[in-house]
Amino acid sequence: MAAAIRKSGGIVAFHWQGKLQDPATQGFAEALAQRRFRTIENAASEEISVGGVTKADPTGDTFALEDLDGGAGTWLRVRLDKKTLPKKWLQIHRDAAEKSRGKKLSARERRELKDDLTEKLLPRVLPAVNLVDALLFFDRRLILLFATSRSVVEAFGKLFFETFSLPLERQNPRLAGLQLKLGAEAERSLDRLEPVRWPRGEDGDGRPRSVPKPVRATALDDEEDGDEAVGDDADRRRNKTADGDDTPPWQEQDA
Amino acid sequence: MSTQRQGKGEAQDTHGFLGEEFLTWLWFRWETTGGEFRLPGGRVVGLALDDFLLFAAPSEDETEQTLRRGLPTRTAEARTALRSGRRLKKARLLLAEGSRQWSATLDGASLTLLGVKLPEDSEEVESDQDRTTERAANWLALHELVQALYGQFLRERLRPDYLERVAAEQAQWMAG
Repeated sequence: MAAAIRKSGGIVAFHWQGKLQDPATQGFAEALAQRRFRTIENAASEEISVGGVTKADPTGDTFALEDLDGGAGTWLRVRLDKKTLPKKWLQIHRDAAEKSRGKKLSARERRELKDDLTEKLLPRVLPAVNLVDALLFFDRRLILLFATSRSVVEAFGKLFFETFSLPLERQNPRLAGLQLKLGAEAERSLDRLEPVRWPRGEDGDGRPRSVPKPVRATALDDEEDGDEAVGDDADRRRNKTADGDDTPPWQEQDA
Repeated sequence: MSTQRQGKGEAQDTHGFLGEEFLTWLWFRWETTGGEFRLPGGRVVGLALDDFLLFAAPSEDETEQTLRRGLPTRTAEARTALRSGRRLKKARLLLAEGSRQWSATLDGASLTLLGVKLPEDSEEVESDQDRTTERAANWLALHELVQALYGQFLRERLRPDYLERVAAEQAQWMAG
């Protein structure tokens, strides 16, 4: 299972405030083990499981310090398993039921059919597996997560918080500016900055101006999905389908 | 939690517009000063815009514009977008430092790097562990290069006379 860290893909940067255990210590590995991955292979209901594993052990049973060695960084790996009733199977059974009756099923009948199939099929369905890597640079208080989809980014942030009781702050232009330590006055100026309106064509006097900040959805809304670091291509293909929706995993689990 | 999805109100706090201005500034600097940036610590990084540009919509009612393949920065469409005062929302960048070269698409509003390609592994690297060590260093170096370039932009952007000097020069370039 162990291989080299990936050499391509997308990354999201995070920073943390507060005291994090040194990754070179046993305490760090023990904290990871507390939030280890737990299998849902035999689960009889639709479930999602998110937990820590290592590059050498995808089960989450062991957290040897040498398995966290990522050169200049600490190599973290998160396993996200998702077990859902395959929609195509549900459709096949619904079509068969409607054909034998000669009419459409009612909403209640469709629900009953789904419940029945869930009970029968889910114990036989294997969860989709997604392995996502991250590099933690302790001295820089920096994490580079090798995934950009919203659901994975959120799941990683939640797991990190549960593991170390530290919230992660996702990189953005304002936070990146503060990380540069430009000084108190510059930081105040940064917070007051407003967008430049560039001259448009022949209009106006050709001079740029500041304008009030626009209120619009952040570009995070349309980030590319399907850029996850996964263990192998087969898993990658499966997870593209499994991660097709935007609902955060824990919300689905709680629903 | 801070990692969770940001709503419309919070979008302002991330200063997403600043990342888009940064991308446009990189293009301006690349075309007007040759794409060589001197960074703190004596580091010199070369930068060029590659084969993908996405221009932000100037307002909610207008459309985004994507240019792909070839040399989109040299197209009439790109010049028209600049003359219309559009900022870059995403762009594919080539970065080089010494013998190492990276390519990546930078999303301005979030400063997320997409579709990154690291430099080729060194020939002398044999084991997975050595490969990991080298790649980890290259991931970190890429992040720090982008941070350093952003720092250079921000120092100019935060100057009290920014609009009269740098922005005025950039506006001339955009109109050109």
